[in-house]
Amino acid sequence: MKNQSLKIIFFLALSILLVFSGSWLLAGGNLLIKNATILPVTGEPIPKGDVLIINGLIKQIGQNLTAPAGTRIIEASGKYLIPGIIDTHTHIALSGTNEGTDAVTPEVNMAEVINADDTSIFTALSGGVTMVHTMHGSANVIGGMNVVLKLKWGKPSEQLIVKEAYPTLKFALGENVKQSNRVLIPGRLQRYPATRMGANALIRRELLRARDYMAEWDRYEKLKNSKNPPANLLPPRRDLRLETLADLLRGKLYARCHAYVATEMVEFLNLAKEFGFKVGAFEHAWEAYKITDELLSAGVGISVFIDSWAYKMEAAEGIAYNAAYCTQRGILVSINSDSAERIRRLFNEAGKAVKYGLTRDEALKMITINAAKQLGVDRLVGSIEVGKQADLALFNEHPMSAYTRCDLTIIEGEVYFDREQIIKEREEASAKKGGN
Amino acid sequence: MNKKPEKLCLASGGKAFFAFLALIMMALNWLMVNYSTAAETKPAYALVNCRVISVSSPPIEKGIILIRDGLIEAVGAAEKISIPPDAEVIEASGLTAYPGLISAHTNLFLEIKEQEQPQTPEEFLSAYTQPSAPQEFPEHQIFKEIKPKKQTVESYHKVGITTVVVAPNQGIFQGQSVVLNLNGDQANEMVLKQPWALHLNFTTERGIYPSSLMGTVAFIRQKFYDTQHYALHLKKYSASPLFLKRPEYDPFLEALLPFVVDKKLIVFQCNNQEDIKRALRLIEEFQLKAALTGCNEAWRVTEQLKTYKIPLLVTLDFRPPNTSIYSQQGENARKKAEAEIYPANAASLAKEKINFSLTSFGLSESSFLKNLQAAIKTGLSAETALRALTVEPARALGLEKQLGTLEPGKIANLILTRGELFGEKTKVVKVLVDGILFSYEEKSQ
Repeated sequence: MKNQSLKIIFFLALSILLVFSGSWLLAGGNLLIKNATILPVTGEPIPKGDVLIINGLIKQIGQNLTAPAGTRIIEASGKYLIPGIIDTHTHIALSGTNEGTDAVTPEVNMAEVINADDTSIFTALSGGVTMVHTMHGSANVIGGMNVVLKLKWGKPSEQLIVKEAYPTLKFALGENVKQSNRVLIPGRLQRYPATRMGANALIRRELLRARDYMAEWDRYEKLKNSKNPPANLLPPRRDLRLETLADLLRGKLYARCHAYVATEMVEFLNLAKEFGFKVGAFEHAWEAYKITDELLSAGVGISVFIDSWAYKMEAAEGIAYNAAYCTQRGILVSINSDSAERIRRLFNEAGKAVKYGLTRDEALKMITINAAKQLGVDRLVGSIEVGKQADLALFNEHPMSAYTRCDLTIIEGEVYFDREQIIKEREEASAKKGGN
Repeated sequence: MNKKPEKLCLASGGKAFFAFLALIMMALNWLMVNYSTAAETKPAYALVNCRVISVSSPPIEKGIILIRDGLIEAVGAAEKISIPPDAEVIEASGLTAYPGLISAHTNLFLEIKEQEQPQTPEEFLSAYTQPSAPQEFPEHQIFKEIKPKKQTVESYHKVGITTVVVAPNQGIFQGQSVVLNLNGDQANEMVLKQPWALHLNFTTERGIYPSSLMGTVAFIRQKFYDTQHYALHLKKYSASPLFLKRPEYDPFLEALLPFVVDKKLIVFQCNNQEDIKRALRLIEEFQLKAALTGCNEAWRVTEQLKTYKIPLLVTLDFRPPNTSIYSQQGENARKKAEAEIYPANAASLAKEKINFSLTSFGLSESSFLKNLQAAIKTGLSAETALRALTVEPARALGLEKQLGTLEPGKIANLILTRGELFGEKTKVVKVLVDGILFSYEEKSQ
């Protein structure tokens, strides 16, 4: 009896401990941001408002809020508070971008090669970016699995991964995969595929192989579970390459397809229809404006540059109105950087869309809530709403203004970039050095 | 030396005299060679009046160590041990005896294959455009390639190292290592354990798959899964070959069987903190028996290391890896980190109560000693450092019954120093390996 009660007490204590330590681990910071112009993105702007953050979550939005004693208060009058910027296509914080030795490498996973020490993370934070979709490169028709990270600078790599985001698989079409811009080396064979039709055929071939692979496993499971399983039944060989593709066919993964030209995008949508896999978005999609009907009926969004077209043949028919026009047609559009440098001024890139016909609100959405939707994390981040994670950025002017700059970047209630603080630290450091 | 007399013979008429001279010189030469190697072998030695740090028990201020047939016969205080009549007595007052140090990861005795520099434009083109030959040979035995050199052995003795692991250093599946006692220059006589472990490195191939780090991880995982499948196939086939296609012989997977299926030791080379995590993920996924080597960023992942309790072979190489934040901010920041941050690796592990061995991997013997002293300056106790070079690696090597302490029955690997081990002015004066005595007397003033 005594033993029993001791046991119960022990387990109770253990569970209490677990619950508490768990919540402590999950908890982010506490903050109160006061008197900011709040741009919630999903709602009307609040001209002079406060945001209270408790344990990394947005607890309250309103006026004259008070915080528990000890909470850091950030006075933000005259400044603009927006949701943390989300970049849906980058290659930062990774050790390696392409496994370029084969045109089909879905077995590789960018989550295996995160480098949380990459200073590009800090660069990105200085531009208000709090989340990135960091991807395999576009060297291969079927690249690797991508990963979504929060830019928690200084934290170990495993704490950066956003597990709730869609698992995605990189595809690429066009000039990069057919290696048309490479100098053909004498004595070396050109890699297959060398044409757009080859790329399409290769995807089909690989997906058919994945179907066979799934059938092989199904047959094995069936035999294994039958009443009289055959003697000497051997399971099929596990093939990581086909397993990823099988996951795509099972709907567990979203395809993210690098594509420029309208025809190849339509062909890819046809493949998706034929094999029944999900397409998360087209990357770059310069000719998306030509196929808005097709994109709308497939429910597929695009992740694009704003106005840097014509840097290669397949981008020649790109137009700066692409993002704005597609948005107006109802397509889910996000603006990406695809660059460790452009990432720090992604807000400028989005801001340019205003020139091409979008409102400031619509433009801002392209780097916040739209991006969150494309990554499957819009219930967590992407707007300033009670209950969402407090990933925020504070700008000195309207973020879609050409004169704006990011002053403060917050992830889950913790300040990861504070311009004032950094300038102060640098000045102190140079004074210490006795610099001239 | 041999050519000179020949010339003289031709030049002069006094042929007999010069031939005699040449003979004497050759004899002298032979004698000199033999005398310069200080190694002596006697069946029994008695080291008397030395301070004894056995590592396993408290220090003995005035002790005797008896050595017979390459093993330690007895260790104790001077008054408790009687010296057998046949033992050669070595007066060691003023000297301290320690177990010989073990460096559990080196690339000793390997001939550095000099890469041929391309000369012609065609060679240039092919060197930079053609894929390299694959380096993946898990069956490769590094023992077959070592060429022990007396000079190297002696220079390692002088920093106190008597036992080394020689590991292969090419490719991802690098091959299998060997444990050697530095008792001379005859490879067969030096072997303590062959093979010791399979070595894996998170590197890439050039121009062929896998050419990227993520490719490497996928490649390793696929090979491990293939080995499991191969083993299952073999097992079923040997139980009954009826209605089962025979497994196709695969030397690569065959070599992996003992490690993936029978859980022999795999050593993962971890060049940065992320490599440690990658290795731990693989160890967990495939339930491997493993050790980690390199690990100069182990201080950044102490939480994981505490959970997994895996043998760590920590190099004293303090160069920050390229991925590190300290390597991305210019040469000054990198050098500062090398001098101030990375030396504290071992001390932080000790503070977290994580067991580890120290190795000279990637270092010359002189920088090994210099870096060891630097690590001690950051707060690593000399005692922990000594354990990390004796009992800890002995255990990691599975040789804890033979090596690591001065205890009766163990292999007679010991060093005699003037001054505290790891001290700046300390000299290793005598070294015994497998009971073979090497003397490195200081030059008389």
